[in-house]
Amino acid sequence: MRSLWRELLKILFQRRTYVGWAGLLAVPLLIVLALDLSSSKPGAGEGPPFFAAIINNGIFVPLAAIGALSFFLFPLIASMAGAYPLAGEAELGTMKTWMSRPVGRAGVLFSKWGVAVLYVAVGMALVGLGGLAAGWLVFGIHPLTTLSGTTIGIGAGVERIVLANLLILTALLCTISLALLVSTLSNSSLTAAISAMVVFVVLNILNGFSYFDFMKPYTFTSYNLAFTNLFRDPIYWQPIRNALLTYGVTVAVLLVASWLIFRRKDILT
Amino acid sequence: MIGPDQAPEAAADDARNDAREQAAGDATDQSLQAGDDRPVVLATHGLTKRFGKLLAVDHLDLAVCRGDVFGFLGPNGAGKTTTIRMIFGLIFPTSGYAEVADHRVPGQRVAALRHLGGFVEVPAFYPNMSARRNLRLIGSAGGEVNEQRISEVLDMVGLLARGDTKVGGFSHGMKQRLGIANALLGRPDVIILDEPTSGLDPQGMKDVRELVRELGKSGTTVLLSSHLLHEVEQVCNRAVIINRGRTVIEGPVATLRPREEAVKVMTGDQQKAFETARALFGAQGVSWDEGYLVVRAGDEGVPELVRRLVADGVAVRAVVPAVEQGLEDYFLELTQSSDVDADRGERAAESGTAADVADAATRPPAGETRG
Repeated sequence: MRSLWRELLKILFQRRTYVGWAGLLAVPLLIVLALDLSSSKPGAGEGPPFFAAIINNGIFVPLAAIGALSFFLFPLIASMAGAYPLAGEAELGTMKTWMSRPVGRAGVLFSKWGVAVLYVAVGMALVGLGGLAAGWLVFGIHPLTTLSGTTIGIGAGVERIVLANLLILTALLCTISLALLVSTLSNSSLTAAISAMVVFVVLNILNGFSYFDFMKPYTFTSYNLAFTNLFRDPIYWQPIRNALLTYGVTVAVLLVASWLIFRRKDILT
Repeated sequence: MIGPDQAPEAAADDARNDAREQAAGDATDQSLQAGDDRPVVLATHGLTKRFGKLLAVDHLDLAVCRGDVFGFLGPNGAGKTTTIRMIFGLIFPTSGYAEVADHRVPGQRVAALRHLGGFVEVPAFYPNMSARRNLRLIGSAGGEVNEQRISEVLDMVGLLARGDTKVGGFSHGMKQRLGIANALLGRPDVIILDEPTSGLDPQGMKDVRELVRELGKSGTTVLLSSHLLHEVEQVCNRAVIINRGRTVIEGPVATLRPREEAVKVMTGDQQKAFETARALFGAQGVSWDEGYLVVRAGDEGVPELVRRLVADGVAVRAVVPAVEQGLEDYFLELTQSSDVDADRGERAAESGTAADVADAATRPPAGETRG
C-alpha cells in the first residue's frame, strides 16, 4: 500500500497527469454543451449509443461519454498511464535511483501497474461524476428507460452506470498491462504508449472484417460495447461474462510476461 | 562538511598522512583480507559481466573493510560502473556475486541494499519535486525518514538553503551533491560514490573530496570510483586499479605510487642542468615538461643533483615533486598496455615501480582526462 502511495506521489508531480484528467472531464461537459446548443437533436437510434436519449434524461450523459471515449481517448489514456510509471522513470534516469533502494522488483512492477489502474479509474470517475452532474443540471435526471423498453429507478440506473464503468475499466486493464509489458522492454514511454495504442487500433480494425471473426472471442477489443448489455432488462450477462473472461486471461498473460522480463531486467538508466 | 571555510588544508593533510601511514603499515600484507582484523563489509567474488562479446567485468574480487575509504580506479570503460551496478543489483552478473554486510547480491538484494547507499553514474532525481521532497520520497523506500536528518544531510553537502527548490533547476554540481546527501540519508554501512567529482568545477571537486575525507574520518565505509589517481590518493586509504574488467593492482594507496618519484627542476640554465642530470641519471631519467626539467631520481639522487648544479654554478630556482605527473604516467602505464593480465598486475604490484617512463615527455601533460 505504501509503495502504491509512493508511485502515486511520483505521477502527481507530473503535469501530464492533470492534462489527461482534464481531457477526460472535458468530454462529458462538451457533450452536454453540444447537445444543448445544437438545434438539430439526434433522433432515436441515431449517433453513438445513448446520445439520442440524453436530451430527455441527463442520466445518459456518463454512458454516452464512456461509449464515445472507449474507442479512442480511454485506450490512449490507459496506454499512457501504463507506459509512464516504468519507462518514464527510465527516461528521467530515476529508475536506477529508485532500484538502488531496498525495494523488491515485484513490488515496484505491480505498484506501477496499480498506480496506472488507479489513474485510469480516477479519470473514469471524473467522466462519470462530471457527466452526471452536467446532465442533471442541463437535462435533469429521470428514471431510466432500458434498451429493452422497461423503466428502472434513478438508484438502479446509477448502479448500472457504475457497473458499466467497472466493465470498461476492466477492458482498459488490458491496454494498461500491454503498455506495461512494452515498457519493460523499452526505456521509452512514448514507444510503450504508442505500441499499446497500435495494438488496440489494429485489433479493432481486424475485428471489423468478418474474415477475422474466428479470433473475435479472444481479442479484448471485440467487447468494447459489451457494457450496453447492462442496460437491458434483465441484464444480459452472457456477453459480459465472455468479456470478463477474455479480459482476465489477457491481463494475466501480459502481467506474467511483464514480470518474467522485469525480474531479470538490466536497469541501466 | 562542504564549503570553502571548512577544515584547514593542514588538518586535511594530517588526516591524509595518517591514512597513508596506516596504509603503509598494512603494505606488507599482500592480500587485502589477510592480517587485517576489520570485517569485510563489501566484497565481490568472481564477479563477471558479459555484454554479448564484450567482457565488461572479468572475475573481479574486491574486499572493502569497515572504515575503508576505498578507491576504485580505472580509465573510462574499465568496468567500474558495471561493477557498481552489479553491487546495487541493478544488473545481473553473468557469474559471481557481490556481498554487502553478509548479504549476497543479487540473491538477497533487498537485504543488502538496506546497508548500502550511493549512486551510479550521475545521480538522478524527480525534477518537479524539491530537493527535500526527493530525499523524503527516495528515503522512504528504505524505511522511516526523519525530517531533521534530511536537513542534516542537506547541510552537510551545502544545499540546506536550496532544500525547497525544484531539483529540475539544479546544476550538475548540485545534483551531484544531492546524490551524496541521498547516499548519506539512511546512515548506511557502505556508501558507493561513482565518480562524484566528474563534471564539477575545481572548487566543487575540492568540496566533494573534503566531504569524502570527512566521511572517512567519521568511520563510514566508502567506495569511491574515480578515473583520477591523484584524487584517490588524496582521499582513500586503499585502492584497486582495474582495466578491462580485471584487477591490475590493489592494495594500500601508498603502495600504488611508483617508488621512483620524479621531481621538476627549474634553474637559471636549463640546458646545462639537463646535461648535468643526464650525466647523473642517463637519458631515460630526464625529460621536459613545459619548461621544467623532469628528473627521475631516487631519494639520494636529488640532493646529489642539486649539489652538482650548485657546484657548476647553475642557479637552482625550484625543485618540486612531480607527484601528479608521476602518478598519472604510472596510471597510464598500468592501464594502457594492451596485454594487461593478472601476472603483469602482480609483478607491478610487487615492484611498485613505473618501469618505462621514457616516453613521458612525449605525452600530453597528465591531468584530468574528463571534466
